[in-house]
Amino acid sequence: MGDLDNSSSLVGSTASGEATFSEPPAKKKRNLPGMPDPEAEVIALSPKTLMATNRFVCEICNKGFQRDQNLQLHRRGHNLPWKLRQRTTTEVRKRVYVCPETSCVHHNPTRALGDLTGIKKHFCRKHGEKKWKCERCSKKYAVQSDWKAHMKTCGTREYKCDCGTLFSRRDSFITHRAFCDALAEESAKAQTLGSSQQLGNSNPNPNPNAGKAVVVASPPPPPLTPSNNVVSPALSIQSSEFPENPVGLSPPPPATTCLTSTTTAISTAATTTSTGNCSNTSTSVFASIFAPSTASQTSAAANSSYSNIVSSSAIPSASAMEPTSLSLSTSLYLSNNGSTLFPTADQQDHRQYVASPQAPAMSATALLQKAAQMGAAATSGSFLRGFGLATSSSPPQAQDSTTSLQWSNNSHSQQHKRDGSGGAAATVAAGLGASSALLTDLMMGPPVPFGGHHQPMTRDLLGLGIGANGGGGSASSAGLSALLNSFGGGGGYTTYARGEESSWEGAQERKPNTATGPALL
Amino acid sequence: MSVLFVDQKMAQEDGSPVTSSAMYFPGLGSPYPWLSPGIGSPYPWLRELKSEERGLCLIQLLQGCAHHVASGSIEQANVWLEQISQLASAGGDTMQRIAAYFTEALADRMLKGLPGLYKALNSTKLSSIAEEIHIKRLFFDLCPFLKLSYVITNQAIVEAMEGEKMVHIIDLHSFEPAQWINLIQTLNARPEGPPHLRITGIHEHKEVLEQMAARLTEEAEKHDIPFQFNAIVSKLENLDVESLRVKTGEALAVCSVLQLHSLLATDDDMTRRKSPLATNNLQKVMHINKLTLGEWLEKDPISAYSLSPDSSLSPLSLGASPKMGSFLTALWGLSPKLMVITEQESNHNGHTLMDRIIEALHYYAALFDCLESTVSRASMERQKVEKMLFGEEIKNIISCEGTDRKERHEKLEKWILRLELSGFGRVQLSYHGRMQAKKMLRDYGYDGYEIKEDNGCLVICWHDRPLFSVSAWRFRRYE
Repeated sequence: MGDLDNSSSLVGSTASGEATFSEPPAKKKRNLPGMPDPEAEVIALSPKTLMATNRFVCEICNKGFQRDQNLQLHRRGHNLPWKLRQRTTTEVRKRVYVCPETSCVHHNPTRALGDLTGIKKHFCRKHGEKKWKCERCSKKYAVQSDWKAHMKTCGTREYKCDCGTLFSRRDSFITHRAFCDALAEESAKAQTLGSSQQLGNSNPNPNPNAGKAVVVASPPPPPLTPSNNVVSPALSIQSSEFPENPVGLSPPPPATTCLTSTTTAISTAATTTSTGNCSNTSTSVFASIFAPSTASQTSAAANSSYSNIVSSSAIPSASAMEPTSLSLSTSLYLSNNGSTLFPTADQQDHRQYVASPQAPAMSATALLQKAAQMGAAATSGSFLRGFGLATSSSPPQAQDSTTSLQWSNNSHSQQHKRDGSGGAAATVAAGLGASSALLTDLMMGPPVPFGGHHQPMTRDLLGLGIGANGGGGSASSAGLSALLNSFGGGGGYTTYARGEESSWEGAQERKPNTATGPALL
Repeated sequence: MSVLFVDQKMAQEDGSPVTSSAMYFPGLGSPYPWLSPGIGSPYPWLRELKSEERGLCLIQLLQGCAHHVASGSIEQANVWLEQISQLASAGGDTMQRIAAYFTEALADRMLKGLPGLYKALNSTKLSSIAEEIHIKRLFFDLCPFLKLSYVITNQAIVEAMEGEKMVHIIDLHSFEPAQWINLIQTLNARPEGPPHLRITGIHEHKEVLEQMAARLTEEAEKHDIPFQFNAIVSKLENLDVESLRVKTGEALAVCSVLQLHSLLATDDDMTRRKSPLATNNLQKVMHINKLTLGEWLEKDPISAYSLSPDSSLSPLSLGASPKMGSFLTALWGLSPKLMVITEQESNHNGHTLMDRIIEALHYYAALFDCLESTVSRASMERQKVEKMLFGEEIKNIISCEGTDRKERHEKLEKWILRLELSGFGRVQLSYHGRMQAKKMLRDYGYDGYEIKEDNGCLVICWHDRPLFSVSAWRFRRYE
């Protein structure tokens, strides 16, 4: 502690020997950067010395060492005489090093570096040849440790801006995004798509509104100072504009849509485009912020955009939003010609826009699962029996006329048909067992016109009388519907069955009112 | 369903279908129109169906129709087909399109019962190679499956060939240059430098191979990689494996994308014989690890051709296809360091038609959903892929039998058994391959697809439905 006569209060390197044993030796104090100890010993090593890696070589095995001490310790292993040099003095003199390169800043002793390893690395980096190259991104390094450090992070985490620039650091990515021109163009495009009406946009160039948080602040500096002089002309402009096009600005939808379209686009842009777009002139919007008393003059749109602006201006601009929000608007690539496995930068994707124009329909896989569930609920057990009975008891004329309907009226086809229908009865019915409420409800629907002798048939077919509810619950499916279940969605069909029953009962009682599709299902 | 009604209705009427008011749908004044297809009048009731009900209706109608076709009752099937035709449409929503192609396949099958008629209708078909290639390219562009398969395959190849100086790749269906261009670029970026690369491409059309050769040599020259492309113009089933000229000292990788299943097409009659030596065969299978499939076949040829019902996974059903067995054995004989196989993950090789139809219905429903989610309904490209790729596959599955039926997709578990029987050992597909695939999905913006890992193999799924499986294999030596 007191060993060094240092006038500088900055330096106080404590030799470990002087420290009291009860406490760990104090760490070496570092100088403030750029201000070396004036009392320190300046050492100027030659380039050769700086670049030399292993100057001390063992004569037995030719292994190189950077320090003599290490070589001596190594020589012990060979049973060679070794001598460790002791410290010459107990006084520890701080050493600083200068760069041998005369043109370098650090050649000057006042700008010397305090660390030997540091000066070595500096010399290599600045004045050396870059021998280490990263494979992935072709960055070159002169110092191996730099290269190693880079390899750890290269390609691991990447942020990609729309303009194509890659970043490995989140902060630089966000900063870039705020100013990126490409982003500005994109959001401007989104604006023009989203909003149909832009009255007399006082700002001729929509781009500055879009991407640049800084720029937005600048166009209306006057309104920022809440002076009535500035506000009222802007408001008068605004109010004069509104009667022209009340629809465009007044209803919230344009305001909200342009807000939503831009919030899905870019975070910073959202703040700014909403100002630019929703109320035409950025001046008027800012005016509306700072003149709440006069906001009543403006239409509802200004109010809604005002509140939106306020809420969005409350959010600190870029950094609050997640970079992942960018992914929604990231242009996605479809390979058209010269197909590649990974998308190239200049390929556009239209996939985002495709889904919306089509009528949202249930996917085919979902339909199949639903059909399987419904099939499970059908009373195919009794149904099968009923069908078998039906065909056997139906008079032959039925089949005659049926076939006459389809083909020619000869007995050939009748025969074929009867056999076919008889033989296929089981399989057909099994398949029909899967066709659920649609079929059965149709059967249940109009009992009256059947006429007298049909009712027993109906009963047979369904296995239950008209008006009876009991049969509906019987039999989970046999046959094909079970097969379908095993292939299809499967789960939970029992619960669906209960739902089925109630809809059956409902259908029975509400016959005249039965609607077409939905009630059945 | 409608047959039933017709019977009933006719039973009560005087035989005239037109004026029947017996069965009417409550809520509508008009007769139940779809029971009288001969009328040809508008079907207002049907048009009022909303998309979901229409879809469900179509599913039920398809099943009913399939039953009739399976049992051979042509007239009844015809009635059902008529009903379906009112609802199905190749330009409509997903279910409508599926129904359109399935009914076309069913009708094709029915028509084969009248061979003269069938041949007359099918004799003037024009087929153009350019069109085929175009369709395949559209499939590559519109759906991510091929791209995913290529990415995973290439990653597996790069990993297996680490440190190899001479690499030889055999592509069993060489048609898309993008796959190998990507591999060339990846190999070029290897820390140890690119290897000497040889690619043997197999295709039945010379023009395709010429184009591949040109593009690949151009790409290799750009990166200054020693490269050689061998073209083999042949159908896969006629391929003479000896002609592949694998040199000693080079590391061999085989790539098969949706090709192997066509080798399962055999003469079905031969395979239907059941072997009485069932249990004996099982024991033999236990010893299979010590023999190659070829040797096993030599020992007991009859059992090899026997087939138990297809739904079981018994190894007995695997030895059925002599073509497959000999092909795999021949490949094994080349001692490949890596073989990557991409196949459809569904069982379309069932014995019974109904089994196949139901499986195909679920599988192609998912595929059509994929297209629906990424391409607009008006797109002609989408319709082309649906008709000329999926539609043709569906037709092949449903209406062809025997050696004509090439689309004999099988599930991964069966492929695993087959390949293990033939002497291949499994190679786990790495985490990196999966990550690459996921990254690709993100880059392209494909939504809804998933890559699942199943015991070292990767399965490409649409939501939860597995669609394609990618597995990697290597030559395994027996002691």
